[in-house]
Amino acid sequence: MKFMSHIAQWRSGAKEALDRTAIIAKFLCCLHFTDTYLCSPTHVYGPSMLPTLNIAGDVVLVEHLSPLLGNVGYGDLVLVRSPLNPNRNLTKRIVAMEGDTVTYFDPLHSDSDRIAVVPKGHVWIQGDNVYASRDSRHFGPVPLGLIKGKVFFRCL
Amino acid sequence: MGPFRSIITEAWEKTFILTKFFCFLHVTDTYLINHVMTYGPSMLPAIDLSPTDFLAERISTRFGKLAQGDIVVLRNPQNPRKTVTKRLVGLEGDTITYVSSSENSDMHETVVVPKGHVWVQGDNTYNSNDSRHFGPVPYGLIESKLFWRVWPLEDFGPFWKK
Repeated sequence: MKFMSHIAQWRSGAKEALDRTAIIAKFLCCLHFTDTYLCSPTHVYGPSMLPTLNIAGDVVLVEHLSPLLGNVGYGDLVLVRSPLNPNRNLTKRIVAMEGDTVTYFDPLHSDSDRIAVVPKGHVWIQGDNVYASRDSRHFGPVPLGLIKGKVFFRCL
Repeated sequence: MGPFRSIITEAWEKTFILTKFFCFLHVTDTYLINHVMTYGPSMLPAIDLSPTDFLAERISTRFGKLAQGDIVVLRNPQNPRKTVTKRLVGLEGDTITYVSSSENSDMHETVVVPKGHVWVQGDNTYNSNDSRHFGPVPYGLIESKLFWRVWPLEDFGPFWKK
Protein backbone atom coordinates (compact mmCIF):
# COMPACT_ATOMS: atom_id res chain seq x y z
CA MET A 1 0.00 0.00 0.00
CA LYS A 2 2.82 2.37 0.92
CA PHE A 3 4.54 1.39 -2.29
CA MET A 4 1.54 2.48 -4.38
CA SER A 5 1.35 5.85 -2.63
CA HIS A 6 5.06 6.38 -3.25
CA ILE A 7 4.59 5.68 -6.93
CA ALA A 8 1.69 8.15 -7.06
CA GLN A 9 3.78 10.83 -5.38
CA TRP A 10 6.68 10.23 -7.71
CA ARG A 11 4.39 10.40 -10.66
CA SER A 12 2.93 13.77 -9.67
CA GLY A 13 6.40 15.10 -8.91
CA ALA A 14 7.66 13.98 -12.29
CA LYS A 15 4.68 15.56 -14.02
CA GLU A 16 5.28 18.86 -12.31
CA ALA A 17 8.97 18.78 -13.19
CA LEU A 18 8.09 18.07 -16.80
CA ASP A 19 5.62 20.96 -16.90
CA ARG A 20 8.16 23.38 -15.48
CA THR A 21 10.80 22.18 -17.95
CA ALA A 22 8.34 22.60 -20.80
CA ILE A 23 7.69 26.22 -19.78
CA ILE A 24 11.41 26.94 -19.63
CA ALA A 25 11.96 25.27 -22.99
CA LYS A 26 9.21 27.35 -24.59
CA PHE A 27 10.67 30.52 -23.11
CA LEU A 28 14.12 29.68 -24.46
CA CYS A 29 12.64 28.97 -27.87
CA CYS A 30 11.00 32.41 -27.87
CA LEU A 31 14.21 34.04 -26.70
CA HIS A 32 16.17 32.29 -29.39
CA PHE A 33 13.72 33.37 -32.05
CA THR A 34 13.97 37.01 -31.00
CA ASP A 35 17.72 36.75 -30.75
CA THR A 36 18.17 35.34 -34.22
CA TYR A 37 15.64 37.24 -36.24
CA LEU A 38 14.87 40.48 -34.45
CA CYS A 39 17.45 42.01 -32.20
CA SER A 40 20.36 40.73 -30.17
CA PRO A 41 23.09 42.26 -28.04
CA THR A 42 26.72 41.69 -28.96
CA HIS A 43 30.01 42.56 -27.34
CA VAL A 44 32.42 44.02 -29.87
CA TYR A 45 36.04 44.84 -29.15
CA GLY A 46 39.26 45.64 -30.94
CA PRO A 47 40.94 48.65 -32.51
CA SER A 48 39.63 48.31 -36.03
CA MET A 49 36.62 50.62 -35.66
CA LEU A 50 38.22 53.48 -33.73
CA PRO A 51 37.02 56.15 -33.09
CA THR A 52 33.47 54.89 -33.62
CA LEU A 53 33.74 51.91 -31.27
CA ASN A 54 35.97 51.52 -28.23
CA ILE A 55 39.05 49.37 -28.27
CA ALA A 56 38.18 47.91 -24.88
CA GLY A 57 34.74 46.83 -25.97
CA ASP A 58 31.17 48.02 -26.46
CA VAL A 59 27.86 46.32 -26.02
CA VAL A 60 25.77 47.05 -29.08
CA LEU A 61 22.34 46.01 -30.28
CA VAL A 62 22.22 44.33 -33.66
CA GLU A 63 19.06 43.95 -35.67
CA HIS A 64 18.77 40.96 -37.94
CA LEU A 65 15.87 41.93 -40.18
CA SER A 66 17.76 44.23 -42.54
CA PRO A 67 20.08 41.70 -44.18
CA LEU A 68 17.13 39.35 -44.76
CA LEU A 69 15.23 42.15 -46.48
CA GLY A 70 18.25 43.29 -48.45
CA ASN A 71 18.23 46.60 -46.64
CA VAL A 72 21.98 47.06 -46.21
CA GLY A 73 23.72 49.99 -47.85
CA TYR A 74 26.61 52.39 -47.83
CA GLY A 75 27.90 53.44 -44.45
CA ASP A 76 26.07 50.75 -42.48
CA LEU A 77 27.85 49.22 -39.54
CA VAL A 78 27.30 45.51 -39.96
CA LEU A 79 27.98 42.30 -38.10
CA VAL A 80 29.65 39.94 -40.55
CA ARG A 81 30.65 36.30 -40.19
CA SER A 82 34.37 36.24 -40.84
CA PRO A 83 35.32 34.70 -44.20
CA LEU A 84 38.58 33.52 -42.67
CA ASN A 85 37.14 31.88 -39.57
CA PRO A 86 33.43 31.06 -39.58
CA ASN A 87 33.31 30.93 -35.79
CA ARG A 88 34.09 34.63 -35.42
CA ASN A 89 32.03 37.69 -36.16
CA LEU A 90 33.45 40.99 -37.33
CA THR A 91 31.98 44.46 -37.07
CA LYS A 92 32.86 46.65 -40.02
CA ARG A 93 31.39 49.37 -42.19
CA ILE A 94 30.06 48.81 -45.71
CA VAL A 95 32.06 51.02 -48.03
CA ALA A 96 30.99 49.76 -51.44
CA MET A 97 28.22 47.63 -52.91
CA GLU A 98 28.13 45.28 -55.91
CA GLY A 99 29.33 46.74 -59.16
CA ASP A 100 31.38 49.54 -57.59
CA THR A 101 35.08 50.10 -58.25
CA VAL A 102 36.96 50.49 -54.98
CA THR A 103 40.23 52.38 -54.77
CA TYR A 104 41.81 51.42 -51.49
CA PHE A 105 44.99 52.07 -49.66
CA ASP A 106 46.58 49.66 -47.25
CA PRO A 107 49.17 51.73 -45.38
CA LEU A 108 50.79 48.70 -43.78
CA HIS A 109 51.43 46.65 -46.89
CA SER A 110 52.01 48.95 -49.82
CA ASP A 111 52.70 52.52 -50.76
CA SER A 112 50.24 52.95 -53.60
CA ASP A 113 46.52 52.70 -54.18
CA ARG A 114 44.97 49.50 -55.43
CA ILE A 115 41.77 49.01 -57.35
CA ALA A 116 39.14 46.29 -57.09
CA VAL A 117 35.68 45.77 -58.55
CA VAL A 118 33.03 44.40 -56.23
CA PRO A 119 31.34 41.40 -57.90
CA LYS A 120 27.63 40.59 -57.94
CA GLY A 121 26.15 39.67 -54.58
CA HIS A 122 29.14 40.99 -52.61
CA VAL A 123 30.01 44.07 -50.55
CA TRP A 124 33.27 45.74 -49.59
CA ILE A 125 33.71 46.23 -45.86
CA GLN A 126 36.34 48.29 -44.10
CA GLY A 127 37.07 49.22 -40.54
CA ASP A 128 37.03 52.91 -39.69
CA ASN A 129 40.59 52.65 -38.40
CA VAL A 130 42.42 51.78 -41.61
CA TYR A 131 45.74 51.37 -39.85
CA ALA A 132 44.60 48.52 -37.58
CA SER A 133 41.86 46.69 -39.38
CA ARG A 134 41.73 43.39 -41.25
CA ASP A 135 38.95 43.80 -43.74
CA SER A 136 38.13 43.56 -47.44
CA ARG A 137 41.49 45.10 -48.25
CA HIS A 138 42.98 41.81 -47.06
CA PHE A 139 40.37 39.12 -47.66
CA GLY A 140 38.48 40.63 -50.57
CA PRO A 141 34.80 41.46 -51.01
CA VAL A 142 32.40 39.56 -48.79
CA PRO A 143 29.21 37.81 -50.04
CA LEU A 144 25.94 39.30 -48.78
CA GLY A 145 25.04 35.90 -47.32
CA LEU A 146 27.66 36.39 -44.59
CA ILE A 147 26.12 39.61 -43.27
CA LYS A 148 24.31 38.68 -40.09
CA GLY A 149 22.91 41.99 -38.88
CA LYS A 150 23.11 45.76 -38.71
CA VAL A 151 24.31 47.60 -35.62
CA PHE A 152 21.87 50.31 -34.64
CA PHE A 153 22.33 51.08 -30.97
CA ARG A 154 25.15 51.26 -28.51
CA CYS A 155 24.22 50.30 -24.97
CA LEU A 156 27.30 51.03 -22.92
CA MET B 1 -20.65 39.44 -24.99
CA GLY B 2 -20.54 36.03 -23.28
CA PRO B 3 -20.16 33.71 -26.28
CA PHE B 4 -17.68 36.04 -27.93
CA ARG B 5 -15.43 35.98 -24.94
CA SER B 6 -15.15 32.21 -24.89
CA ILE B 7 -14.57 32.12 -28.63
CA ILE B 8 -11.83 34.69 -28.35
CA THR B 9 -10.17 32.84 -25.48
CA GLU B 10 -10.28 29.60 -27.37
CA ALA B 11 -8.89 31.21 -30.54
CA TRP B 12 -6.11 32.79 -28.49
CA GLU B 13 -5.19 29.49 -26.89
CA LYS B 14 -5.17 27.66 -30.21
CA THR B 15 -2.97 30.34 -31.74
CA PHE B 16 -0.63 30.05 -28.79
CA ILE B 17 -0.29 26.32 -29.21
CA LEU B 18 0.29 26.74 -32.93
CA THR B 19 2.98 29.36 -32.30
CA LYS B 20 4.77 27.11 -29.85
CA PHE B 21 4.67 24.28 -32.35
CA PHE B 22 6.10 26.45 -35.10
CA CYS B 23 8.84 27.70 -32.80
CA PHE B 24 9.80 24.14 -32.02
CA LEU B 25 9.70 23.20 -35.71
CA HIS B 26 11.82 26.19 -36.55
CA VAL B 27 14.47 25.39 -33.96
CA THR B 28 14.70 21.81 -35.23
CA ASP B 29 14.91 23.16 -38.75
CA THR B 30 17.71 25.57 -37.95
CA TYR B 31 19.88 23.39 -35.77
CA LEU B 32 19.13 19.76 -36.54
CA ILE B 33 17.45 18.65 -39.71
CA ASN B 34 15.81 20.61 -42.45
CA HIS B 35 14.19 19.88 -45.76
CA VAL B 36 15.73 20.89 -49.07
CA MET B 37 14.25 20.84 -52.54
CA THR B 38 16.71 20.79 -55.42
CA TYR B 39 16.23 21.27 -59.13
CA GLY B 40 18.52 21.76 -62.08
CA PRO B 41 21.04 19.72 -64.03
CA SER B 42 24.25 20.69 -62.26
CA MET B 43 24.54 17.58 -60.07
CA LEU B 44 23.71 14.88 -62.64
CA PRO B 45 23.94 11.91 -62.33
CA ALA B 46 23.87 11.98 -58.53
CA ILE B 47 20.81 14.22 -58.37
CA ASP B 48 18.21 14.25 -61.11
CA LEU B 49 17.29 17.52 -62.75
CA SER B 50 13.61 17.37 -61.87
CA PRO B 51 12.70 18.70 -58.40
CA THR B 52 13.92 16.28 -55.73
CA ASP B 53 13.38 16.51 -51.98
CA PHE B 54 16.07 15.80 -49.44
CA LEU B 55 16.62 15.95 -45.73
CA ALA B 56 19.73 17.86 -44.78
CA GLU B 57 21.44 17.98 -41.40
CA ARG B 58 23.11 20.97 -39.83
CA ILE B 59 25.17 19.31 -37.13
CA SER B 60 28.15 18.45 -39.35
CA THR B 61 28.41 21.98 -40.68
CA ARG B 62 28.23 23.52 -37.23
CA PHE B 63 31.02 21.35 -35.87
CA GLY B 64 33.19 21.57 -38.98
CA LYS B 65 32.93 17.86 -39.74
CA LEU B 66 32.52 18.21 -43.47
CA ALA B 67 34.74 16.18 -45.78
CA GLN B 68 35.53 16.08 -49.46
CA GLY B 69 32.77 14.44 -51.43
CA ASP B 70 29.89 15.63 -49.25
CA ILE B 71 26.99 17.26 -51.03
CA VAL B 72 26.24 20.51 -49.25
CA VAL B 73 23.64 23.24 -49.44
CA LEU B 74 25.17 26.70 -49.37
CA ARG B 75 23.97 30.25 -49.85
CA ASN B 76 24.67 31.49 -53.36
CA PRO B 77 27.57 33.97 -53.16
CA GLN B 78 26.14 35.87 -56.09
CA ASN B 79 22.59 36.11 -54.76
CA PRO B 80 22.00 35.79 -51.02
CA ARG B 81 18.34 34.94 -51.48
CA LYS B 82 19.09 31.67 -53.20
CA THR B 83 20.77 28.48 -52.10
CA VAL B 84 22.74 26.08 -54.26
CA THR B 85 23.51 22.41 -53.81
CA LYS B 86 26.97 21.30 -54.86
CA ARG B 87 29.62 18.78 -53.96
CA LEU B 88 32.46 19.78 -51.66
CA VAL B 89 35.58 19.18 -53.72
CA GLY B 90 38.26 21.07 -51.79
CA LEU B 91 38.79 22.23 -48.22
CA GLU B 92 41.05 25.06 -47.09
CA GLY B 93 44.65 24.53 -48.12
CA ASP B 94 43.89 22.14 -50.97
CA THR B 95 45.21 22.74 -54.46
CA ILE B 96 42.52 22.46 -57.11
CA THR B 97 43.22 22.06 -60.81
CA TYR B 98 40.25 22.64 -63.05
CA VAL B 99 39.47 23.16 -66.69
CA SER B 100 38.81 26.84 -66.98
CA SER B 101 37.32 27.17 -70.44
CA SER B 102 34.32 25.31 -71.79
CA GLU B 103 35.42 25.28 -75.43
CA ASN B 104 39.09 24.45 -75.03
CA SER B 105 39.48 21.55 -72.63
CA ASP B 106 43.25 21.90 -72.43
CA MET B 107 43.26 25.18 -70.55
CA HIS B 108 43.83 24.33 -66.91
CA GLU B 109 44.02 26.63 -63.94
CA THR B 110 45.38 25.79 -60.54
CA VAL B 111 44.24 27.52 -57.39
CA VAL B 112 44.91 27.04 -53.68
CA VAL B 113 41.82 27.25 -51.51
CA PRO B 114 42.44 30.07 -48.98
CA LYS B 115 41.94 29.82 -45.24
CA GLY B 116 38.33 29.66 -44.14
CA HIS B 117 37.09 28.83 -47.64
CA VAL B 118 35.96 25.76 -49.55
CA TRP B 119 35.76 24.80 -53.22
CA VAL B 120 32.44 23.46 -54.47
CA GLN B 121 31.68 21.95 -57.85
CA GLY B 122 28.66 20.40 -59.48
CA ASP B 123 29.09 16.82 -60.68
CA ASN B 124 27.87 17.83 -64.12
CA THR B 125 30.79 20.05 -65.02
CA TYR B 126 29.34 20.99 -68.39
CA ASN B 127 26.31 22.71 -66.92
CA SER B 128 27.09 23.96 -63.45
CA ASN B 129 27.67 27.41 -62.01
CA ASP B 130 30.08 26.71 -59.18
CA SER B 131 33.46 27.66 -57.71
CA ARG B 132 34.99 27.50 -61.17
CA HIS B 133 32.94 30.62 -61.88
CA PHE B 134 32.49 32.39 -58.57
CA GLY B 135 35.68 31.31 -56.84
CA PRO B 136 36.23 29.67 -53.45
CA VAL B 137 33.34 30.13 -51.05
CA PRO B 138 33.71 31.18 -47.36
CA TYR B 139 32.84 28.33 -44.99
CA GLY B 140 30.27 30.57 -43.28
CA LEU B 141 27.98 30.28 -46.30
CA ILE B 142 27.54 26.52 -45.98
CA GLU B 143 24.22 25.73 -44.40
CA SER B 144 23.66 21.97 -44.31
CA LYS B 145 24.69 18.60 -45.68
CA LEU B 146 22.33 16.27 -47.57
CA PHE B 147 21.94 12.84 -46.06
CA TRP B 148 18.52 11.39 -46.98
CA ARG B 149 16.45 11.48 -50.14
CA VAL B 150 12.70 11.82 -49.60
CA TRP B 151 11.10 12.35 -53.01
CA PRO B 152 10.67 10.80 -55.65
CA LEU B 153 9.43 7.90 -53.57
CA GLU B 154 11.18 5.20 -55.54
CA ASP B 155 14.49 6.72 -54.47
CA PHE B 156 13.56 7.15 -50.81
CA GLY B 157 16.52 6.25 -48.69
CA PRO B 158 19.97 7.19 -47.44
CA PHE B 159 22.01 9.50 -49.58
CA TRP B 160 25.64 9.30 -48.63
CA LYS B 161 28.70 7.84 -50.27
CA LYS B 162 29.52 4.31 -49.29
